[in-house]
Amino acid sequence: MLNRRQFLRGTGVALALPAMERFALAKNAEPPRRILAICNNLGLLPDKFFPAEAGPSYALSPTLEPLKEHRNDFTVLSGVMHPDVDGGHPADNCFLTCAPHPSNGGFRNTISLDQFAAQRIGHLTRFPSLTLGVNIQNGLRSLSWTAAGVLLPPEEKPSAVFQKLFLRGTPEEVQAQIRRLEMGRSIMDAVAGQVKSLEGQVGARDRDRLEQYFSGVRELEKRLEKAREWEDVPKPQAPVAPPEDPASPKEYMRKTRLMYELARVAFLTDSTRLVTLMLDSVNTPALDVEGCEIKDGYHNLSHHGKSPAKLAQLEAIDRQHMKMLAELFTSLKGSAEEGSSLLDRTMVLYGSNMGNANTHVTTNLPVLFAGGGFKQGQHLLFDRERNYPLPNLFVSMLQRLGLEVDHFATSTGTMRGLEMC
Amino acid sequence: MGLLSSLLAAALALQDRAFIEKHCAECHGPGDPKGGLNLSDLKSDFHDPRTFATWAKVHDRVQDGEMPPKKKRPPPREEIDAFLKSLAQPMTAADRAREAAEGRSTWRRLNRYEYENTLRDLLGAPWLQIKEMLPEDGEAHRYNKVGDALDISHVQMAQYLAAAEYALREVIVPSAERPETRTVRTYARDNPSFSRKMKFNEFNRSPERATFPTLGFDPQPDVRADKAPMTVGPANPALREKEGVGVVAGAYEPLEPKFNEWKAPMAGRYRIRLCAHTVWVGPGKGPKWWTPDLDTVSRGRRSEPLTLYSEIPPRLLRRLGAFDVTPDPTVNELEVYLLKGEAIRPDPSRLFRSRPPNWHNPLAEKDGCPGVVYRWLEVEGPILDAWPPAGHVLLFGDPGSPRDPERLLRDFLRRAYRRPVAREDVARFLAVIRKALAANLSFEEAMIAGYSAVLCSPGFVCLEEKPGALDNAALASRLSYFLWNGPPDVELRAADLGQSGVLRAQVDRLLDDRKSRRFIDAFLDYWLDLRRVNATSPDAALYPDYYLDDLLVESADLEPRLFFQELVRGDLSARNVVASDFVMVNERLADLYGLPASEGVHLRRLELPAGSPRGGFMTQAAVLKVTANGTTTSPVLRGAWIMERILGKPPPPPPPSVPAVEPDIRGALTIREQLDKHRTIPSCGACHAKIDPAGFALESFDVLGGRRDRYRALGKGTPPPGFGKNGQPFEFHEAQPVDASGRLPAGESFRDVVELKAQLLRDERQIARNLVRQLLVYATGAPIRFGDRARVEEILDRARDSGYGVRTIIREIVLCDLFRCK
Repeated sequence: MLNRRQFLRGTGVALALPAMERFALAKNAEPPRRILAICNNLGLLPDKFFPAEAGPSYALSPTLEPLKEHRNDFTVLSGVMHPDVDGGHPADNCFLTCAPHPSNGGFRNTISLDQFAAQRIGHLTRFPSLTLGVNIQNGLRSLSWTAAGVLLPPEEKPSAVFQKLFLRGTPEEVQAQIRRLEMGRSIMDAVAGQVKSLEGQVGARDRDRLEQYFSGVRELEKRLEKAREWEDVPKPQAPVAPPEDPASPKEYMRKTRLMYELARVAFLTDSTRLVTLMLDSVNTPALDVEGCEIKDGYHNLSHHGKSPAKLAQLEAIDRQHMKMLAELFTSLKGSAEEGSSLLDRTMVLYGSNMGNANTHVTTNLPVLFAGGGFKQGQHLLFDRERNYPLPNLFVSMLQRLGLEVDHFATSTGTMRGLEMC
Repeated sequence: MGLLSSLLAAALALQDRAFIEKHCAECHGPGDPKGGLNLSDLKSDFHDPRTFATWAKVHDRVQDGEMPPKKKRPPPREEIDAFLKSLAQPMTAADRAREAAEGRSTWRRLNRYEYENTLRDLLGAPWLQIKEMLPEDGEAHRYNKVGDALDISHVQMAQYLAAAEYALREVIVPSAERPETRTVRTYARDNPSFSRKMKFNEFNRSPERATFPTLGFDPQPDVRADKAPMTVGPANPALREKEGVGVVAGAYEPLEPKFNEWKAPMAGRYRIRLCAHTVWVGPGKGPKWWTPDLDTVSRGRRSEPLTLYSEIPPRLLRRLGAFDVTPDPTVNELEVYLLKGEAIRPDPSRLFRSRPPNWHNPLAEKDGCPGVVYRWLEVEGPILDAWPPAGHVLLFGDPGSPRDPERLLRDFLRRAYRRPVAREDVARFLAVIRKALAANLSFEEAMIAGYSAVLCSPGFVCLEEKPGALDNAALASRLSYFLWNGPPDVELRAADLGQSGVLRAQVDRLLDDRKSRRFIDAFLDYWLDLRRVNATSPDAALYPDYYLDDLLVESADLEPRLFFQELVRGDLSARNVVASDFVMVNERLADLYGLPASEGVHLRRLELPAGSPRGGFMTQAAVLKVTANGTTTSPVLRGAWIMERILGKPPPPPPPSVPAVEPDIRGALTIREQLDKHRTIPSCGACHAKIDPAGFALESFDVLGGRRDRYRALGKGTPPPGFGKNGQPFEFHEAQPVDASGRLPAGESFRDVVELKAQLLRDERQIARNLVRQLLVYATGAPIRFGDRARVEEILDRARDSGYGVRTIIREIVLCDLFRCK
């Protein structure tokens, strides 16, 4: 396959990514690859989460203990950060965008990992992406952002996600969508006509440019057509019963578990390949955790001031998070697709914008990365003083999706120490 | 030139072969040629780009006296001259032949700056935010104007479609009724983000992160303690006028007061008036004197800069402008464009930003600290020039005009396309509208579909240039995308640009128009990498005095733009690029530069004292910032950057196998000491002798352009007393001394940047030549090829009498064939 770097060197000019889109399509025949990205915006207690030793034979930390049976299916990252993403709580909105300095004047968010991927592979499924949330502070938080820095509001209700995935829309909705896509095609058709008419009038070098224009137009047309076809395909049979919406924000853990399950069935039915889930812990009151009484709001607890009582509650919460991740991994493993398990084809990113919520530190982020066709089962320990850029993981993830991409946001390369299977 | 004669000319003369055999072949002959270059074998096919590039290198090395090498006996001067002249001839001929057949530039689409400006001008909607919707543009030869790198993918097309539809819907007004232009006032006390922060809660008990009430210059402890109402309200207008809400910290999480009780009802032009004043807040009682006592307030001791941002939650911020808040309450006014739903967020940008843990206000003195008090915000608008707005009329005609798709479309195409509209074009897009109508879309929706198609089509998206002399329409476009970075207006389209006098007059008209600021911004964004001014941030530990300082970076970003504007306006000499006797600074920059600073946020022209190291681009904060990485500086990177951008002598690319030398921030070795090891290797030293000198001179400046005599380091050492903008104590210490001396390749040595600049000024023409070349790539979208060199010199000859005035240079570029032909 063409090595992108060699190719770029050969052309002698710095090309932007779009030139590469042509290559991306050729790989569609590969098995579907997916991403589930989860951000818990209060993070995990660092002392209890990060393992002491590096490498494959590290000992599980107390927080990681519930994930024991999956230890070969995930990798723990320490000493990573999003470069220049500081400013306390607002950094959560940058977890998948890596846009620097979210609290500074003139800040504007940038495109998130999932939306970047959706622009390229979104047409392959009925929904280019799904943006989910738990206890979201209205309109203020999301993991999904457009290139113009516009927030894509997360869906909070499990029942609404279920309806979207499995129940047919109203005829008006379907018709409106069909009209929109057909108009797009008609527009592109007219544009293609003009491009074609110009090709005969120009020299060889200019014609090359026009041909690229033409194929860009035709490619978009094909994608619109593909999207249009989805409207004629009946939605899949729901493999699970419709969920009931938890009534109270105290049921944060139950809501999270339901969202995990919905992400799984969305993947299982290939309804989408890109799901983001913001767990807005900052906006969560005293929550229900099995086997532990939580006495204080989640945010309040996170400013524990080293109070043993508060720390004990936080530890229970963190362990519950890991238990539910373990359940998710179990169910993804139990879901087969063409001889592989769903986990093998789903990259699960779980992490936080906060390295330590007690002091609002946005370095040394806790990150756990599972499945997806990587060699997992290790603790990648980077410099805790001079952190390693986490956007590099995003480049590896995009490449695993089959995209010819060599940078994303502030990345400096692919994730060091992480290899594909 | 006919094809046959050009082919004949494009061959190497026999006497040139003789020169090569005599002076070059010993090293560059068959066998094991030096540098892998065998000149005996090199074909003289100048139509092959690779061969051409090799010959160009041969020509330049001989011209610069680098080859044959000094240790060999040099050929006689006249032999060299004859060789160069005779080699240049077929090369120039080959370039000209290529130019005649295909043009210098490649067919190209608009870049995203241009696309945004074009939509704004076409639709009469200067507030449209389009640029960020489109993928980043490729760049070649350092600019986003070169067709070979401006790719089009399906992502690009999808975003064009989305952007076009968005822009069209933004300018369509729902009803024929003219909205009222209103003046609305909202008091700080009535905005919860101000008033709620007066009370402490479980997440905040720090007075630095709270707001406080004032009446005139007096505190209001009862209001703070909730014993008196938040405001007297409308019942007592005189007293209400004096009520304010104060802060001692800048707008930063978690203290971000904003006037969001008012939000822009529609996109458009608004006049904003803010009533505010500064205060002095008393010191904390007890040992923590740096903590403010919010119940002790008096009149301010100085003015405070205030930046206004528009905001759509969450944190979609745009900088609107800045002004100074004075100790006496004043009303500052700004005229701005707002998008629907935007609110106003003020940032007192000199004040500190409290970051945990245990922050300490760096501006606090034993007897208190500065603060800013807001009273009210008044907004007048939307200010309408016409109703319905011009954009709506463009799309649907005057109110009551017939719903005739064909006529509307034709009128739209005439305005949208920058060239005559062909009949097929109308038919093509009319078909889209008809199809939409047939699918039962409303008339408006069908028209939007047709217009969207126009805005995605080559006629709109591309600069359609044909080989040879550009016709009037193409020349008008090239000129306006040069000097306005946007489409030509009615007057420019109508002008007969074939007449040099008319062309000249249009250059001056365009430059004098406010839209020329778009040219300056876009040109400098690429020429000097200003678009990357925020790409890296000052390290919090090494540069806590810069970290989180938005005022500093925003001022630094403005300086080169205003400086270049000054050069264009006054037709000042290109030598100012390297050294000027004035700078454009505000208080913050003057303070950074160690110049006498007068209070105020606006950048003004300041004459420099004799012997100042400042003046010219290379000692401006923005340039020193984009050539550093926020933590360290590298003489190699800065030197290479200066050689290429400012002096026009780009160094060869680094060899692939050599890792970069990383500065050592523990302070053990200076970067010069580390580099010296590398420079003493002969194969490395040859290039580094050319690259590094300017970089060494600039070692006197840190990552944001502050003057330094010593490097800062972390680790063992005693930090100086002081606190950063984030309220954290200094951790860095002063380490190794800086050595800013060096020697230029021609042999002259210099002690510092002042002497370096003096030496560079000796070749004023080279500074002007570089500016001409940079501007030409930007203006024509094509690199300067071998065959273009003579015409670059002609431009310089014609600009010489003006002392290479920048405005004269721009004018002569436009009048030159390089600009007037594809």
